[in-house]
This record gives sequence, C-alpha cells and structure tokens, in this order.
Amino acid sequence: MPIPSRFEQLALPHQEAAFSLAFWLLSSRADAEDVVQEAFLRAFRAFDGFRGEDIRPWLFAIVRNAAYRTLNNRQRTANVISLDAAFHGREGDTGAPLDIAAEGPSAEDALIGKAERDLVRLALAELPTAFREVVVLREIEGLSYREISEITDTAVGTVMSRLSRGRLLLRRALARKTGKDCSHAL
Amino acid sequence: MPCDRHAHLLSAYLDRELPDDEHEALARHIADCPDCTTLVSDLRQTSRAVAGLGREPMPEGLSQRLRQSLEQASDGSPPSPSPQSVSARSTAIVPRHWTASALMRQAAVLVFACLLSALATWGFVTGSARDTLLARDLLSAHLRSLQQESPIQVASSDAHTVKPWFAGKVDFSPEVRDLAAQGYPLLGGRLDTIAGRRVGALVYKRRLHLINIFAWASDAPDTAPTLTMRNGYNLLSWIRGGVVYTAVSDLDGDELKHLAEML
Repeated sequence: MPIPSRFEQLALPHQEAAFSLAFWLLSSRADAEDVVQEAFLRAFRAFDGFRGEDIRPWLFAIVRNAAYRTLNNRQRTANVISLDAAFHGREGDTGAPLDIAAEGPSAEDALIGKAERDLVRLALAELPTAFREVVVLREIEGLSYREISEITDTAVGTVMSRLSRGRLLLRRALARKTGKDCSHAL
Repeated sequence: MPCDRHAHLLSAYLDRELPDDEHEALARHIADCPDCTTLVSDLRQTSRAVAGLGREPMPEGLSQRLRQSLEQASDGSPPSPSPQSVSARSTAIVPRHWTASALMRQAAVLVFACLLSALATWGFVTGSARDTLLARDLLSAHLRSLQQESPIQVASSDAHTVKPWFAGKVDFSPEVRDLAAQGYPLLGGRLDTIAGRRVGALVYKRRLHLINIFAWASDAPDTAPTLTMRNGYNLLSWIRGGVVYTAVSDLDGDELKHLAEML
C-alpha cells in the first residue's frame, strides 16, 4: 500500500462532491464518472500550480471545465443531427440520456418520499445549466457565493442573480408539476 | 404584483449573503409585505427540497478506480485516464455505453461531412453564390441554437462578462452592448461554427424572438446593414471595424435594423 500523496490527501475527500457536481451538470452517471476521472488526473498534473488554502474551489473548477467539455462535445453531436433535421424539417432527437430517477432508496426517501424526490430531481435536471450549477453548488454543496463565483469564473453579483433566477424557475416548475398531480387526484 | 422590486434580492436574503444593513432593511420590508413573505417562504421550501436530495451517490468501485489511476499517474507511467478507467467501467458497470456514444459521435461527424460536401457540390453545380451558401449556413446555425437546451455558453446580461469571455476563443473582439432598456436584452454569447470556421454568436431577445448575431473577423471595409430573407427568416449583415456581423431572427426586418443601429 503506497503512501498517499499530498494531492490524494487533499483531493480524494472531495470525490463524492465532485461526482455529484459532474452528474448534475451532465445528467448522466456514466459521463459523470468519465469526467471525474479526467478531472482528477488533470488536477493531479496541475497540482504544482495550486496555491491556496482550500482545494475545493480549484478542484471543482477543474471538474466543471471537464464537464463543460463533455457537454460541448455532446452539443456538437446534437448540432449535426439537428442540422440534418433542419433540412428535413423534423425534430432531431438531440436529448442526452437523462437518468435522473434516483437509484435506490436512501435515508432521505423516508422523509420526502420517492415520488416527490423524483419531481425535484426532474425539475432540477430541467433547469438551464447556468442556473442548475449555481443551485447545486449552493443547495447541495452549501458553498458561499464567493466560492461559487470562483468555481464558475463569474462575478459574485452574477452568482446572486443566477441563484435567484434559478430558484424562482424551480419554484415555478415544482408548482406546475405538483399542481398537475393535484388535478389528477381530483 | 406590486413587489417586483425586491423579488430578486430575496434569494440572497435567505442565504444571508446581503450586507448587514441591506439585510435588516429587507427583513423590515418583508414583515410588512405579504407578497414578499409568501415568496420568501416558497423559496425557502424550494431550497430545502433541493438540499434534501443530497449528493448523487458515487458508482460502486469509482473510488478505487480513481485511486488506481492516480497511483499510476504518480508512478510516472503515462497518465491516461481512458484505457484503464474506461475498460474497468465498461466491463464492470455500463457495458457498451461509451462505445455506443463514440460511434454516434463518429456517425454524426460523417453525416456532417457528407452534408457539407453535398452542399458545396450543390452550390458549385448550380452556380449559386457563396453568399447563398453562407446565408444557409447562418440560418442553420440559428435554427440549431433554437433546438438546443440553451443557445448560450456564457449566460449574462452584462456586456463586461460576455465580451471578455470571447477573448482567446476567437481572433477578434465583438461589440457587445446590453440593450435591455431599449427592449433588446442580452442573454449571452456562445461559440458556433459557420462554414468550418469558428465564429462568435451574441444572443439577444426581443419579446419572444431570439436573435443570434454571428460575428467573425474580416479585412473588408465597413458596410451598411443589408437585409436579406431566407425561409421566412431575416438576415441582416454589416461590417464594422474589421468584424462581419450577421443578425438572424424571425423578428421583423425593421426591428432587426434598429438593433444593428444601436450596437
């Protein structure tokens, strides 16, 4: 058993958060795994350049960049298909696989119930990426606006407005989704 | 809806990210404002619902694979994430997913190449001007952006966020101005490809119409905006300061010209 390097000591404790962030950016567990692998290797190679107290913003920024590269590749693929579709006047199936339904039961399921949980997951997955990422970093990772601005390479004011807009969108989407359920029940 | 003025601050208020004096002032306002009270409680609930999701659990074995690839990398052996991790995963967890998406990607590239060459041949054979081909490409890019989840890569209404974003990504600096006050809010920017060349795209909105302004560098002298129409879409092109701009939208031609004048 080799002694873990300083990088491993600092970075590996954040692997769960890194995977979760990648998953929410990509809506795919398989792509998120690739991205986390790639990001940790990149971070390892760039570790000499890391000067700071907290490795988290630095590491998450690398994860985020890797996720965006995958998203861009995906979009390029989608573009080609939709270009084709544009010429033939039909809708291209450009959606990435959305495996958003929660996997197994977890502790939280007992509290909010699987159905409601899936609604929240769906609403979050449907948010535009720029809003989704700040919501995830804030609500799930509990990061400060300053840290989020570092990770997303934006101004704190932008984080503030995206988070506000993201939550308002989520609120509307959830109201719509649960509203629909109510009308079913009636 | 009398209380629009505070709605955008309530989220930061909940996060305690406002300066103390603003926080206090807003707290006093909320106490007196039923609209804001409701919204705060809704937002708090939304927040809790998302926080309650918790982290997405890691796939089994990923932690170990991560450790292995890091050890390998620190041994000095060529640190490549793909062969080891991908094969480990494809046998263990998600067989064939990666290969399938890679195939799709290649197929897509092929389709694109065929399409381009078909277009090029068509243009050549019919003697159709290069401009027509360009217009067609621009329109396709516009339509493509409408079908995507989001037509923007950098979402910001702030010209000082969008303009620097293009630095280092394209070989020119487009003019970016937020014209929200004039009824043309800036949504953001992205990179796109027109005729095999990387171009910048600025995305504006006018009511429900999305406007893509594609921009690329050129040596040509400045020209006044000229309007053409294609498949019911308006294309407005002009050259200014060594940058070619083409705005594409289903917006009325005059309104499009108005936007070009303000930029």
